[in-house]
Order: sequence, then structure tokens, then C-alpha cells
Amino acid sequence: MSETTKAETAPVLCVRDLKLRYFTSKGAVRAIDGVSFDLYPGETLGLVGESGCGKTTTGLALLGMPSPPGRIVAGSIAIDGTEIVGISDRSLRRDVRWSKISMVFQGAMNSLTPVYTIRKLMAETWREHASGGQGDAAVEALMLRYLHLVGLPEKVLDRYPHELSGGMKQRVVIAMALFLEPKVVVMDEPTTALDVIVQAQILNLLKKLKRELGLSYIFITHDLATEAEIADRIMVMYAGLIVELGTGEQIFGHSEPRGSLPGSSLRELPSEPRRTSLHPYTQKLLASTPRLHKRVSELAFIPGSPPDLLAPPPGCRFAPRCSFAKAKCVAEEPPAAEIGPGHLVACWKAREDPEYERQ
Amino acid sequence: MYRYFLLKRVGYGILMYVVMICVFSTLFNGVADRTMRAQIDEEVAQEASRLRNLNEGQLKAAIASRRESKYRQYHLDESLPSRIFWRSVRTLGFDFGNSTIIKASNGDRAVSRIVLEALPRTIVLFSSEVVLVTILGVMLGLYAARRPNGPFDRTNSMITMITNGLPAWWLAMLAIMAFSYRFPIFPSGGIHSNPAPTHFAGFLDYLWHLSLPLMTLVFLGVWGTAYLVRNIVLSTLQEDFVTAARARGIPERKILFGHVLRSSMPAIMTLAILGLFGSIAGNIIVEGIFGWPGIGNLYFIAVQQNDVPILMATLAIETLVNMLGFVILDLAYGLLDPRIKVGGRA
Amino acid sequence: MSVKDGLQDFKEFWKEFSKVKQGLVGLGLLLAFAFLGIFGPLIVPFPGASKHWRDIDYWQDNPQAAPPAWTNFFSARKGVSSSTLAAITAETEALEGGASIASFVFDYPFFYDQPPRDLILRVPGSGQVPLSVTLERPDGLRAELFREQVELSEGSDNRVSVARNCAQAAVEFVRGRDAQLADGMNADLIKPVDIFFAKLGPDILGSPVTLKGDYKIEIRALIVSPGFRVGKPSILVSGHVSGILGTDASKRDIFTGVVIGIRWALVIGILTSVISVVAGVLLGIIAAYFGGVADWLLSRLYELIYLLPVLPFLIVVSAIFKPSIWTLIVLICAFFWTGSFKTVYSMTLQIKEETFVEASRALGSGKWRIVFKHIGPILLPYSFASMALSIPAIIVYEASVSLLGLGDATIVSWGQILESALTQGAVINKLWWWVIPPGLMIALMGMSFAFLGTALDKILHPKLKTR
Repeated sequence: MSETTKAETAPVLCVRDLKLRYFTSKGAVRAIDGVSFDLYPGETLGLVGESGCGKTTTGLALLGMPSPPGRIVAGSIAIDGTEIVGISDRSLRRDVRWSKISMVFQGAMNSLTPVYTIRKLMAETWREHASGGQGDAAVEALMLRYLHLVGLPEKVLDRYPHELSGGMKQRVVIAMALFLEPKVVVMDEPTTALDVIVQAQILNLLKKLKRELGLSYIFITHDLATEAEIADRIMVMYAGLIVELGTGEQIFGHSEPRGSLPGSSLRELPSEPRRTSLHPYTQKLLASTPRLHKRVSELAFIPGSPPDLLAPPPGCRFAPRCSFAKAKCVAEEPPAAEIGPGHLVACWKAREDPEYERQ
Repeated sequence: MYRYFLLKRVGYGILMYVVMICVFSTLFNGVADRTMRAQIDEEVAQEASRLRNLNEGQLKAAIASRRESKYRQYHLDESLPSRIFWRSVRTLGFDFGNSTIIKASNGDRAVSRIVLEALPRTIVLFSSEVVLVTILGVMLGLYAARRPNGPFDRTNSMITMITNGLPAWWLAMLAIMAFSYRFPIFPSGGIHSNPAPTHFAGFLDYLWHLSLPLMTLVFLGVWGTAYLVRNIVLSTLQEDFVTAARARGIPERKILFGHVLRSSMPAIMTLAILGLFGSIAGNIIVEGIFGWPGIGNLYFIAVQQNDVPILMATLAIETLVNMLGFVILDLAYGLLDPRIKVGGRA
Repeated sequence: MSVKDGLQDFKEFWKEFSKVKQGLVGLGLLLAFAFLGIFGPLIVPFPGASKHWRDIDYWQDNPQAAPPAWTNFFSARKGVSSSTLAAITAETEALEGGASIASFVFDYPFFYDQPPRDLILRVPGSGQVPLSVTLERPDGLRAELFREQVELSEGSDNRVSVARNCAQAAVEFVRGRDAQLADGMNADLIKPVDIFFAKLGPDILGSPVTLKGDYKIEIRALIVSPGFRVGKPSILVSGHVSGILGTDASKRDIFTGVVIGIRWALVIGILTSVISVVAGVLLGIIAAYFGGVADWLLSRLYELIYLLPVLPFLIVVSAIFKPSIWTLIVLICAFFWTGSFKTVYSMTLQIKEETFVEASRALGSGKWRIVFKHIGPILLPYSFASMALSIPAIIVYEASVSLLGLGDATIVSWGQILESALTQGAVINKLWWWVIPPGLMIALMGMSFAFLGTALDKILHPKLKTR
């Protein structure tokens, strides 16, 4: 379960061969079809991909609450040593959710119950997980401390969600995700709905908190630029599978150390992506992100659309849209293989597979 | 902020009521006029019968002059618009004149007194109905929403569909047939037995008479409310904040009865109260069939006896009640939704 | 839109519609109703019912307040079913002097536990004709029911009711067997039919037990002159149970009444809903699209009507002005147009801002053209759903007004049937077959339209936001 890697620390989250299906009236949709990765303490693992590739589903699955009609059908998820696949909903609620792993949802505006004050929402969450009779004063102090950490004033506690601005709501949601001190926080597009300035502020805040509180993040987004800014390692998902996993350098090819530039906006991606060792899909993703300073005569895009996950094709799922696809790709699904230190790619071409080369 | 909203809303309601009374006065002018004249003539004749020591000529003169002064008093000798105006004024002031046949419990024929006597009984019936229907309906709806399309939910929906087009008064007829005559458990009507018991026994007797009408109305009303609640709750359950609450480890029961119910409250209350005020009309006939001596029963008897003043008065009252319902609804909505209550500071 | 387009649209719509089970159930029920509504009045046992609903003579042969025939299946003491007897022999015997005797024999196998309510004989013919009617019982005894000279005339009923006309004959019958008993009989108080069909014995007056077996009834008519004639008589046995749904206190067959009521319910419901929805849609579009004075006026009118309590108003207006059913329909329309008005109003406001409307205006289309050719067709399918959904309430309103006796007396609606049930003591006397069917029909028809309307609404609701 826990494997020591080069970092010699046990991963705080271990996912092995996770499979999740949506059982619809038309059949079982293979939304996540064998996903494995580790999350190490103190790192930010980015999860990137198109809409519908399975990112949010994976995030929810990590909390043991796939949206219905989804169900985890195989694999294991171990958080801080505790296996959560297959345990009762009650244990999940009491011991795992929020205390070990929490989530910052997409569209935080709507994740706060509109008829409760912030104080009520936080206090209720606390009470569901409290062990031992902490007095009201202690709980109050805790809530205030975290509000302070995210840069919010005390009076926010007595406000209703609709009385707060978008950025403030986001901070509240972050405070609520952290104040029970979980090990892992899953962030699903936490900055997408915000304007650029607030986006930068929130990203900086997240980095700061990670350092100060010793957290590990799973950062889900479709926006590569944000990912480049915040993630240590990045997973690229496509059609329910991980097609590439590597560090920021390995994927984006920049060598400068990342730090927080005050007031800076999004990190710039290199104008030329590193080529051969990347998955064609990742390459295309990078290529289709417009650069501010470069003149673009035509926007690159990836032709075609993702496969139907009810009955995915037998070979590589990206093959129909891949410009490098050959016979082997269509016939056989490439497993994830290590092509560099900690750099996994699921592609015959990227692995320089001999059979592929011959075709 | 809310006070302003309140005043505006109430003012608007009053205005609408005034307009409607004017419309009624115009519409029913002919009949109301005739009835009034007939009543005056009757009054004058009665007075005249008590006069002594007058010969025929003097008697006729006295009657004529008396009649004329009465006509003048009620503006019956003036033009059409004027008559309508004065009638509206009277109605708005709740001066409904006298009935033609129906009497109050003390023999009085003043319509206001008759209506005033009847009103509390309708209020009792209606408010108990509202309370029971709301409580039961919300409970039913919540439980149905827990397992959507499950057996409980589907049975509920089916029953709702069937009772939707079912007239309340028909159910009342069946209820009486079944539970007053076939199995004599409940009284077939009225508000107390004859002779009426007193004190606590009287109270129980009252409740006993209230039971069957109340149960009939509640049985019919519950399903509609339950269906509404079920739908609203189901749609609220799709909201992001519910998923977020689940993620925070809040147990399902707390989510349902706390987060979901509380945030659906404005919508539920709106539709539930609207529906219930819609059912006031249906209650009219039910009261009549059970002989429950409220406003509805007045309608019933007034129609049979063709007592026009009573009909007009009850119509005015019903309209007023209807109006009140809508106003209360708007005000309650404003109160329940924190966005309006706090003045919409965003 | 060409016919081919229309057909294509309809085919697509039908594909969607047939997926919704509820809608199909509703549609099926409604087709059944429509069929019964159109053809029903022709196949009911009393085809002239709708004209003669309040005509006592038309119904005189039915038993009063009789339960449905099938209730016999459940009761221990089987009541007699009404039936018409067939003559098994008919012969004419010529006498000297130009006269003749026409005799007819009827056969009646009788195996019930209760005697019939009545035997009704009808003798067509004309002239002064002495008639004799004899009953031959299974125990061999013969009872003379009737021996009188009657005046027959063409075109009149020529009706003899044993229950009414043969009391004295019953006394004489008993006297023949037990004179003492006969003396104690009071012709006004006895039930002749009970006696004729009962076993002889001392109990015959108090608790008669029916004599089961084959009964024969012989009618003999003496025709004295060639100008007189006697046609084929008929005998109707009036039972305890009658018809599919029994009879009411005025002897009317309830099944017939209910079937006629279908027609009226459909007419009232559909007519009212179509008119009010079309009006509402048109007015809604006009108010939203043209704005200005029209908008202001219509919106004020809408508010006024919306706040008026419908039923109280209808009751008072009906009580004072006593309108016909058509006027009532118009009145109800005046209330119901508000429903579709509001929805259409807000929809039109949205559609108004759509680019295609702007484009149309830029091309020079007149306002009315836009209304009818562009906005209307989007909203039209949805209005079908509105129509269906408003019908249950309409039917209940009409029934409620009728229940109070304010309905149109020239028609037969379920509300009217229930009104007579209420006022003639059906509830007190537990005549459930009178009270349940009409109300059930109201609920059923309401339910069918509700099903249909919900299904239509789901499919046809214009999803403006996803455009």
C-alpha cells in the first residue's frame, strides 16, 4: 500500500487501479477506468484535462462520494493509510470526510447553504466531527483563527453567503475546508469563476497555507496556466485514464524555480513545448493554449471529440484524434510506462516502442 | 427596508379590494337596487301598520313621504353612477344592510351580524386544515423525496393525480354516507348536538363535529402539498450546497431537515399557501354539505333561499379574505427569504 | 410550414410522446371518453334520456332508487332484475257474431328471494276492450290480476301496473284460500306483487317467502267490434335491481345519465379551455410585444381577475343572473385566460429580445405578422399542454355550480346528477350507486386530462434558455 519513493516519505494518498462506473439506463459508463497515483505530503498534484475526462469524478471519488448513479467498482484509495473503498458510509462520514480529506468545490458560490450563516455552517461541520467536549469558546476561536488565516475579518461569521463577494466566499470555503486540519485537500477549479486579480490572490493564499499548515493538494483544473503556477506534479487525464504524469518541468519544460510573484498574473508557458517525450494529447493541449505575446494566425485545436465511455475503443483512447496514431495504437492500449525519473506516459510513441517505430 | 415593502404591499392590496367592490357594485346594481327598495317598502309598511289615528289619505301620504326620505337616505333616487358609488362606500364600510330571509342566532337580520357569527367557525375549520395539511404534507413530501421513484413516492404521486380532479364536496358526501350513516361514528353535520352539552363535554362535542369535515378537507389537501414539497425538495437536493454539505460529513437526515428544508421553505410556503387559499372556494360547498355554520354554509343557504344581501356580503368577505391571503403570502415570503429580509445587501 | 413539415413534426412529437407512459394512459382514457361521449348516448338503454331527463313519464317503468343489477352477485337475498317478458303464444280465437278473443301467454321463470317491485303491462290498441289478466303460479293456483274494460287508444300508453292497480285482486286471491286472513287485509296498505309471488301461508302478509318456479301470465282481450284492435302486449318486470348503475329517486337510469354527462363534460371542458387558452396566449403576446397602453390595461385586468375568488363569484353571479351553460362557459373563460396569459407574457418578453425577431423586423415584417408567424408557433404547442391541464378545474367548477342547483337545467351534467343526489336524500339513504359514479367520473376525466397535460408539458415546453 504505501510505497517509499525517491522522496523516502510515505505518500499521504495512494490510489491504485481505481475504476468507477456510471450505471445509466443506457449501460455502464466507464468514467474512471484504472487510475493509479500517489500524493506525497506537502506537494500539489495537479489534475488536468478536458471537460468530461473524469477529473471532477475522480475528485469526488476521493471523498467516497461519487455522484449518482456512479459507483466505485474496483481499486483502492488509501488516505493516510486508511482504505476508504468499501467502507460503510457512516465511517466515511465520521472518520474520513473532512477530517482526513476535504474538498473545495467548483463554483464555491453555490456550495454554501444560502439560509445558514457562516458561523452555523462551520460550527455544524465541527460538531459532526468533534471528539471530546470542546466548549463553544474553543470552537469559536478555531473558526476565527482560520478566517484570519484566509484573510477574512471576524464579522464574516455572522453573514449569510449572499452577503459576501465571490472572492470572500471562496476564502470562506477554503477556510472551511482546512479548519478540521485534514491531510489532503482536493480543489476542483477553485479559481475558474473568479476574475484574474482575485485568482492570483487566491492562488498565492493557497500556496501559503499549504506551506504553513503542511497540507497536500490535489488541484483539478482545465486551465494549464493555473496548473503551471501551482502544481508540483501534474496528471493529465483523458477519457477516464491518466495519459501522462510528471513534474512541471517534465511537462512544461521550464527550468526556473517557481515562486510567488506579488500581484503577478498567470505564469507564462514556454513558447515552444518540449516535444518528443510528451504524450501527443498533452502536446496538443499545450499547443492550443494561446500565448499573450505571440501572434496567432489560427487557433490550434484538437479535432474530433472524446470517445464514448460506454464502449471505449480497444486500443489507445486518443488514437482517433492523434496525428501520430499507427496500427499498434488502434489495436493495443498503451499502459503507463516510466520514460524519465517519475515521468509516466501512456503512449507507444512517447515510449519509443519498437513495434510502433517499425510501423 | 422591509417596512417599506410591507406598506407598499398592503396598500396595493387595499386598492385592489376597493376596485373589486366597485366592480361588484356595478355588476349587481340591478338586483341590489331592487332588493333594497323592496326592503324599504317592507320596513315602511311595517312602520305604517303601527300608526294609529290616521285616515287613509294621511296614511298614504305618510308612507310616501317616509319612503321618499329613506330612498334619499340610501341615495336610491340619484343617478346610476351615484348609486353605485354609495353602494360601494357602504360595502367597504361593511354595512351590508339586512338579509331577506336568513336570521342570526338572536333573530336579527343584520347581515353584518350574521356574517360575523359565521366567520369564526370558518376560521376554525380553515386554520386547522392549514396547520394539519402543512405539517402532514411536508412530512409526506420529505419522505417521498428521500427515495425518488421508489414505491412510497410513486404511490404518493398516483394518489395525488387521482385526488387532483376530485371535488372536495363529493368526498364529503361519500364521507357522510360512509361514516355517518353506514357506520355511524361521526355526526352527519352541524356544529353541536341537540341539546348542546356544556363546558368540557361541549368542547369535545365540538371537536367531534369538527372531525369529519376536517378530515375530509385534510385528506384531499395533503397530497397536493406533499407533491409540491417533494418536487421542491428534489430540485433542492440537486444543488451544489447539498453535495458540499455531504462532503463535509453532515448526516443525510440533517441535510434533509436542515439545509434542504430550510432553503426550500420560501418556495414551499408560497405554493402551499397559494394552494390552500385556492381551496377556500372548495371549502364553501363542503361547509354546506356538512352544515358547518360558517361562511360557506351561508352561501349554501343563501343560494337556496335566494337571499341576495347575504350573497353579496359573503362575496365581499370572500374577496377580502382572498386578498388577505395573497398579501400575507407576499409578506411571509419576504420574511422567510433572508435576501429580502435583510434588505438585499449584496 | 408545409403539410409535409407538419407531418414530420407530428411524427417526431409522437415518438417522444409514446415514451411517456403517463401520457399514453391519459390519452387512452380520453379516447375511451370521447368514444362514449359521441356514441354513448346512442347505445344506452334509454336513448331519449337527454331530452326526457326531467320527464317523469319517461322513466316510470324503472324501479325507484334501485341498486345496480350486478349487486345481486354479492347479496344473499337476490333481488329481481328488471326484464321484459316475451310472449310465448299469441292467438286469436274467433267468436260468433264477429267478435274475437285475443289471448297472449307470457312465461316468467322466477327464482329470486325477493318478489318483483312491479309488473307493468302495456297493451297497444284502440277501442273499448275488456281485458283480463290471469297469473298462473307454479303451485297451480290461478290468480285473477285484472278484469276490467279499458279504453285503449293509439298513441297513449295503455299501461297497467300490478302494484298500483291490483290491490283488490290480491285481497280476493287470498280470500279464495283463507277468508279470515283476507278480512284482515287493507287494500291500501298491502303490496299486491309480494302476495302474488309468495308462498301461501299465514305469513303471507308479514314475512312472505317467495314461491319459486315457472309463472305464466295470460292476457285475454275481447274485441267486440272490427273497429277495435289489440296489438301485441308487453310485460315489464320491474325489479329491485336495475341497470348497470342502478336508478335514482326519480327512477332515472344512472348509467344513461352518466354517459350523457360525458358528452357535456367534454364539451364544457374542451370548449372552455380552448377559448381561454387561446385568448390568454393572444393577449399575452399582445401585451408583452406591443407594450404601452395595451400592456398596462391587460396587466391591470390580469391582476384584478387573478385576485378574484372564482367560485364565490361564479356562485353569486349564477344565483342572481341564472345563466345558461354557454354563458357559464364564457364566465369561466373570463377567469381562466389569466393562467396562460402570465406564462406567455414572460415567455414573449424573452422571445422579443431574440435576434431572429429583430432580424424579422429589420426585414420589414409587420408587427402582427411577427406575432402570428414567429412568436405564436413557438408558444402554440405549449398551449396545448395548458389546455389539457386546465380542464380538470373547469369541470369541477361547472360541477360545483350545478351542485348548488344553479346549473343549466336543460343539460344533464354530472354535477346535476349529484345535485339531485344531494337534495333527494341519496346520502342519507346510502344510495351509493347514485353518489359514487358521477363523482368518480369527474375525478377520472380530470385525471386523464392531467396525465395528458403533464406529458404534453414535459415534451412541448419551450426550453428557451438552451437555445
